Amino acid sequence: MNVLEVRGLTKRYERFTLDNVSFALEPGYIMGFIGRNGAGKSTTMKSMLNLVRKDAGEVLINGRDFYRNESLCKGEIGFVMGEFDCYKKSTLKAITDVTKRFYKTWDDAAYRSCLKRFDLDENKKISELSAGMKVKYALALALSHNAVLLILDEPTSGLDPVSRDDLLDVFRAVISDGTRSILFSTHIISDLEKCADFITYIKNGKILTSTDVESFRSSYRLVSGEREQLEAQKSYLIGYKAHAFGFTGLIRTEDADKFAGCKTAPADLESIMIYTEQEDGHEESAL
Amino acid sequence: MKNLLYKEFKLCMTAPMLIFYAFVCMLLIPSYPYTVAAFFICNGLYFTFSQAAADNDLLFTTLLPVSKADAVKGKLWFVVIMQGLFLLLCVPMILLGNRIHPDGNPAGADCSLTLLGGMLILFAIFNAIFLPRYFRESHKSGKHFLIALIGVFLWVTVFEGILIASSAAGQYIPFFGWIRDNLDAFPKTPGAWTAQGILLAVCALLYAGANLLAYQKAARNFNSVDL
Repeated sequence: MNVLEVRGLTKRYERFTLDNVSFALEPGYIMGFIGRNGAGKSTTMKSMLNLVRKDAGEVLINGRDFYRNESLCKGEIGFVMGEFDCYKKSTLKAITDVTKRFYKTWDDAAYRSCLKRFDLDENKKISELSAGMKVKYALALALSHNAVLLILDEPTSGLDPVSRDDLLDVFRAVISDGTRSILFSTHIISDLEKCADFITYIKNGKILTSTDVESFRSSYRLVSGEREQLEAQKSYLIGYKAHAFGFTGLIRTEDADKFAGCKTAPADLESIMIYTEQEDGHEESAL
Repeated sequence: MKNLLYKEFKLCMTAPMLIFYAFVCMLLIPSYPYTVAAFFICNGLYFTFSQAAADNDLLFTTLLPVSKADAVKGKLWFVVIMQGLFLLLCVPMILLGNRIHPDGNPAGADCSLTLLGGMLILFAIFNAIFLPRYFRESHKSGKHFLIALIGVFLWVTVFEGILIASSAAGQYIPFFGWIRDNLDAFPKTPGAWTAQGILLAVCALLYAGANLLAYQKAARNFNSVDL
């Protein structure tokens, strides 16, 4: 059974529509949720949790309908929405004291371990924490009640590289027993390269793909060649950057034979995203 | 609900809320419209709700394992407890005030059960206007408070006005005379105790009804809000 199943989630705004979003996540895996700013990542996550009222669709947590079992399902989810930005004049201790009462599965040892690992001082007020420390505190709360699903919106933003790396280790440890899963959105694609098992890619409110990282990577190739080759094969390029000596771009693997005279190489996640987002307008370099 | 109330008292309640309880002593001031004392509790609630909005309290609460309707219920019970506590504190002040100025209050309601009933209606009006609006747009709590105040002060004017009129015109108009003899002053006869007791009970029912309506509307509003 999937830990998370999103089916046909739709939310209409005046100028943006989250359109029929569907994907699923099995237990024991990490799914990266990627897309540009404004693509609909946060709206999807908020709609899943009823923070934003959906217009259509359903969300299942461990097979249970989220909207009909809201309290129960929320108890099984750890949610981080960027940095912790509530009760600025309260101490971490006071906020934790309140929070832990709501979770039957609160694990004080796990919480203490997070405090130590993230170097958080419980007696500090929220207003005294840096942006990175606020993210760490939000993560500490989310990781301390044995949640079966962690939904993390930009959890690594604002963290220094060492903390980010440490956090990715925490993520791997969280899912290691095969019962828990993590869905996290990020702009830092290198973080996904390190730890994601699946990728869900959203563009303009629509899911482009939701698949395992290897399938996602292998379905694209990076290609580079000369100007003349660019003109001849332009229509097969998903996105490209032209420069004085030629071009580099992204193609679908099945189109690789069309670029026989060009150099091709495996595509990395960041390149796939950059060129895919160029699909509507290619970039000409001044060089 | 116990946990939500704990959160309200530990993370949301502000110091001004407690300071405004001192205004219960206004019931000892001679010649003063005592219903106004209850307004200060509404003021304290406004400060608390306003601070909670600035602290992203509704977002924090909604992320906890509770439904949006439960989040509304928690706030409403907090309001009811704070208002109930004020009314409880009013009881010794009413008894004391009645001793300090036994000739009554020419500026409005005397220290009586009727005064408690008037305060209950004041709270009912405040809750019915303020809470549903707050749960639609919590960041505009100042505007909601001002709109609620219009209702509150209209009620104070009507309530105190009727009691002042009953003192002035009681000897000419029998209805006002009955109000003056049975409802205005602290009850001294079994008839006055009964009349004021019934009035207080009716006001309590209206308060409960207004809170129920406020809850239903606030929950509906909050459910449609995108956080």
